[in-house]
Amino acid sequence: MRYKDTGELHMDFHGATNTTIDYIANKYGKEALVEIFHKVGKDVYKSIHEGLKNDDPSELIEHLNYYLTREKADYTLTENEDGFVLDVKQCPAVAHIKSLGLEVSPYFNLQYIEISNALCDSTPWQCTTEIIGEGEYRQTFSRRK
Amino acid sequence: MMIPSDHFVRFYNEVFKFLEAKSEKDLRDYWLEISRHQEGHCLELFKTKGLKGMYEYWEHIRIEENCDMTLTLTDDCLKLEMHKCPSLSKVLDNDATPSMRYCDHCEAWEAPLLAKAGYYCVYDLIAPDIPKCKMYIYKDKELCEKKRREIAQRNS
Repeated sequence: MRYKDTGELHMDFHGATNTTIDYIANKYGKEALVEIFHKVGKDVYKSIHEGLKNDDPSELIEHLNYYLTREKADYTLTENEDGFVLDVKQCPAVAHIKSLGLEVSPYFNLQYIEISNALCDSTPWQCTTEIIGEGEYRQTFSRRK
Repeated sequence: MMIPSDHFVRFYNEVFKFLEAKSEKDLRDYWLEISRHQEGHCLELFKTKGLKGMYEYWEHIRIEENCDMTLTLTDDCLKLEMHKCPSLSKVLDNDATPSMRYCDHCEAWEAPLLAKAGYYCVYDLIAPDIPKCKMYIYKDKELCEKKRREIAQRNS
């Protein structure tokens, strides 16, 4: 796995992410935010993206398990014949933003959707994201038919 | 996929590059927004407890953000000596290109906030790809300017 942080967590960074998402979307529009998330998906997570291009989702699965566990998320990741399903019952970022007394940006969900879409772009993989509630979502990663 | 808190700075770096491509003003306006956001975390502490409050804030940051940093508090100055900045280190340890303006964001959000508390700061940066720096915070503007001249002279 390309990145594997250890040590203390600074959860307040989720507050800064939330503020930044709101700022960019309100000042430059939703498309600007999508552009930034696509850069994150393809450039920052280049290694995961390259893995999917080679039909290998193992680093993506390891990344999701590692960071969701590290942030004590309530989630399940279930592999099946077509790929895998990530069910997040309580996103730790959303929970922390709310604990700070901040309002969760209406654009916050875009990161789940657009980073995943960028990871899968031009690969044999696809992702569908279902937003169930605030901080609750399901992502289905599967091989394109 | 959620951006983990550990990876915020790599997202931050992408935001800087996006804004930098627009204009210097776009970049600076964003840093001012971050500064305003940070006021909720520390302005009252800085106003009421001064340099001691700043020491408390950055000591908390030192632990939570895994900083290799030495804080030195004297009667008239708080010195922060970053031996290895975890933020820039992550931006450099990155498959995406680092923004060469990355280091500038610290002073850009801290100086306006410190000014609101009645304090002044000066940075001693080494290079945008070396995760080491020093920051000096003073109550006395003249002492801050003296340090600024000293740093400028040494770097000239």
